Amino acid sequence: MLAYLLRRAAWGAATVLGVLLFLFALFFLYATPQDIARRALGEKAPPEAIQQWLVNHGYDKPAVWNPEHPLDTRLAEHVRRMLLFEFGRSDADDVPIAQRLRDGVGPSLSVTVPLFALGLPLALSLALLVAFFRETYIDRAGVVLCVLAMSVSVLVYILGGQFLLGKLLRWFPISGFDPDPSVLLRFLALPVLVGLFAHVGADVRFYRAVFLEESGRDYVRTARAKGAGDARVMARHVLPNALIPVLTNVVVEIPFLFTGSILLESFFGIPGLGSITVDAIQSNDFATLRVMVYLGALLFIAGQMLTDVAYTIVDPRVRLG
Amino acid sequence: MNGALRAAALVACIAFGVACTNDPYPSADARARVLYVPYSEAPKTLDPQVAYSVYDHEVLSNVYETPLEYHYLKRPYELIPGLVTEVPEPRALGDGRVVYTFQLRRGVHFASDPCFAIGEAGRTQRELVASDLAFAFQRIADPKVGSPVLATFSKIVGLAEFGKRLAKLREDDPSFSSLRIDEQYQRAGPIEGLNWKVTDSWKATNQLEITLDAPYPQILYWFAMPFTAPVPWEAVVYYDGEGGRDGFAEHAVGTGPFRIARYQKRSRIVLERNPDWYGAEHPEWRAPAATYPSEGSAGDAEAGRVAPGLVGRALPFVDRVEMRFEKESIPVFTKFLQGYYDRSRIPKESFDKAASGGALSPEMASLGVQLERTVTLGTYYIGFNMVDPVVGSAGGERSRKLRQAMSLAIDADEFLRVFLNGRGIPAQSPLPPGLFGYEERYRNPFRTVDLERARSLLAEAGYPKGVDPATGRALRISFDTGDTSVQARLRYQFLVESWRRLGLDVEVAATSYNQFQDKVRRGAHQLYFWGWVADYPDPENFLFLLSGAMSQTKGGGPNSSNFDDPRYDALFDAMKDRPNDATRLETIGAMRALLEVERPWIELFHPEDYALTQGWLHNVKATGLTVPVWKYYDVDAATRAERRVAWNQPVRWPAFALAGLGLALLVPGIATYLRERH
Repeated sequence: MLAYLLRRAAWGAATVLGVLLFLFALFFLYATPQDIARRALGEKAPPEAIQQWLVNHGYDKPAVWNPEHPLDTRLAEHVRRMLLFEFGRSDADDVPIAQRLRDGVGPSLSVTVPLFALGLPLALSLALLVAFFRETYIDRAGVVLCVLAMSVSVLVYILGGQFLLGKLLRWFPISGFDPDPSVLLRFLALPVLVGLFAHVGADVRFYRAVFLEESGRDYVRTARAKGAGDARVMARHVLPNALIPVLTNVVVEIPFLFTGSILLESFFGIPGLGSITVDAIQSNDFATLRVMVYLGALLFIAGQMLTDVAYTIVDPRVRLG
Repeated sequence: MNGALRAAALVACIAFGVACTNDPYPSADARARVLYVPYSEAPKTLDPQVAYSVYDHEVLSNVYETPLEYHYLKRPYELIPGLVTEVPEPRALGDGRVVYTFQLRRGVHFASDPCFAIGEAGRTQRELVASDLAFAFQRIADPKVGSPVLATFSKIVGLAEFGKRLAKLREDDPSFSSLRIDEQYQRAGPIEGLNWKVTDSWKATNQLEITLDAPYPQILYWFAMPFTAPVPWEAVVYYDGEGGRDGFAEHAVGTGPFRIARYQKRSRIVLERNPDWYGAEHPEWRAPAATYPSEGSAGDAEAGRVAPGLVGRALPFVDRVEMRFEKESIPVFTKFLQGYYDRSRIPKESFDKAASGGALSPEMASLGVQLERTVTLGTYYIGFNMVDPVVGSAGGERSRKLRQAMSLAIDADEFLRVFLNGRGIPAQSPLPPGLFGYEERYRNPFRTVDLERARSLLAEAGYPKGVDPATGRALRISFDTGDTSVQARLRYQFLVESWRRLGLDVEVAATSYNQFQDKVRRGAHQLYFWGWVADYPDPENFLFLLSGAMSQTKGGGPNSSNFDDPRYDALFDAMKDRPNDATRLETIGAMRALLEVERPWIELFHPEDYALTQGWLHNVKATGLTVPVWKYYDVDAATRAERRVAWNQPVRWPAFALAGLGLALLVPGIATYLRERH
């Protein structure tokens, strides 16, 4: 297992390096620093101010090749900083990116954790319910609803939720965020509700399929033959065995709890890590964008490895090596 | 199991009851004298010497103060003393130089801040002295600060040289940069044009003398912009972004009526009354910038802005300003309608609902909402590149007629109607209304739509029906832009279609912003669309955009049309330093007449801002410039609290109906299952 993990880690490192080079090509060679400087300083900034900005941000160095100081290039600096997690300052407003990440984690988690903690049990229990009542109108209606829910864009849920629950029924503020505990709950209610609606359809349909597949297996028939009731069969036999595919679906998501939900955060005005990415794109803040893409890649690799390890824990038949 | 279920149901009910309100603010604030405003873009910096966007200035201008300010109510704009005791008059020296003496008030303090312990252990406050104002200028010259207005203030004798000396010292000796900033500035030597004197004798002085190398009367307007706000050197040293401290760009230490209580710029910014403000410490001074004005201009009396109960009262009226970050315009408008914002713009989507035909809709009026319309001090135009052989001045009469014809094809009214809900007025000249030299009755003969005349001008220019005789096809002109958004594309399509009616083939060349900038720098563009918003209310700030000295290809200036006409430049030189008298008006008229014929620009429109104000917000006057206004606003918090409750009763029955429906779906299913099982 250790050997396998090491091998995976080595692959992961190669992937990270590839991501770094790709980011460099995209953000330093394709888009030029002058572009960023213009955006940062505004339309009226004179050329001297632009030049000074480039110097102050280290963008005046040679891109790839510097014959005098081979390591004094933008490429070397970029790779070194990313590997050491020295993220530097935002191109848009000079705020340290590390600080922005720290500020953004809390708001992001306050949406993603309830969404995850409520969404998983909800999807699992709804899937168990429809699987339990398979071939009845509850099952069919459930599947139809799931397919409908899946087919509608998240944006529709967001705008619809804001309009219906925020504007017409006046249950929740239509957007905004305030970490003050006395008002935090009312800000989270709508994005979490919308998030649940947006994801639950696909999850229920997937879990239902898993449960149905499991409940057709021999050991289920054996359990029934031994006189186990439907509820017991579902809870004690089908559920644990169906967890393996469920786990793949779930563990991969865990690292991304930290990066937040881009759409939810943007539309609900939650100052989390997801909206940092969107803001960075809109304001040509490439320094922040590079960091977010890089962290996304790291988290993805971490998620993959976590899934592999989790497999061996829930399924004794799987051996990594 | 049953118990757990019941408990869960109870918790859900309570949670629904508690969370079930759309009020985005803590209930404790319901009756507080707080101003609630949204902001759509987070400030980039709070460093007054660097900040140059309206989003920065909106916050900054309430926290920092400038030597001069604008009169809140008077139009045309009038400067009043801010941190100084009177608006200085220029004093000419024999050699063409001009001196201004700024007498700063004694007894003005910076807001309390831990940074002042650097100067003296245990100290949390300090008096404002003239050297703090000088420090602001040293910072403008410091290349490391990166101030965008160095070119403007280089008119101060020796300022630019100071910056160069500083850069050289830093380059020659790497350890120089590690010196404290005030020491660095001291070692870089004095600035000839900046002299300050602070004494504590019976007649205390606190003055800064500024010497300009040539007359530049508009410099006074710059003293009402945050660039000239004095900053304490202690704050620049202390807030270095290290060891958990904020950077100076994120932490303001000013002398203003408000100080920043919270600065989470991606969600909320909170300003609170500054107890150390001179207006609060010394109401007996009745300082012009700390007292509600007694005079206004047309319309102020009717709007209750010079009511006897107001005049002469000490500012500010509100205790706190809650700014909330709102990127999207629709949520802002919805919250405004719910009473949670005191001011709002009108989103394009809801424009017809809020305003029709330039007036408030009956629905809005019934809510007690007021509409403020202000023409921004700005001009949007289509520019010709005058060094281009086809459309530029090298083409002589032929190109001039082409430009005139193209100008006659653009319908500004229609453009405004289609793209801006009619928010704007068609421009006749570069000068927007509200500026000296703007004449309401003036009609530019080339800014009406007259396709017949345009076609005959084209024929005279040698392009009959728009056909270029050299190619035998429609004359091809490139419209260069760095904006690739869908909205921009539609706008440009509108213009292209207008010219197509003359037979011209104008092609939109949309590139990245940088490539576009590069084209403009090299003078490789033909047509472009641009706008300019005033820094200060003087015609010079618009007319300089077409002066030869400001030509982009010549010196990198903002004259992107590269219009370079000695007649215009002579008139400009005669106009720029004059006071607003009849001669100046006449000169401006002559410049306008020249532009009318030469057509380096097709003036398109001056944008108009429509802002909605709740009935409980008082003393609001739109300014058209980003200047400190919140200290003049007042809020009737009791009325607001009542309206909010009345407007926001939640509709609860759908929740119960939904729960009932869920049960109705499930119960028969379970019943069927149980029946079949037995």
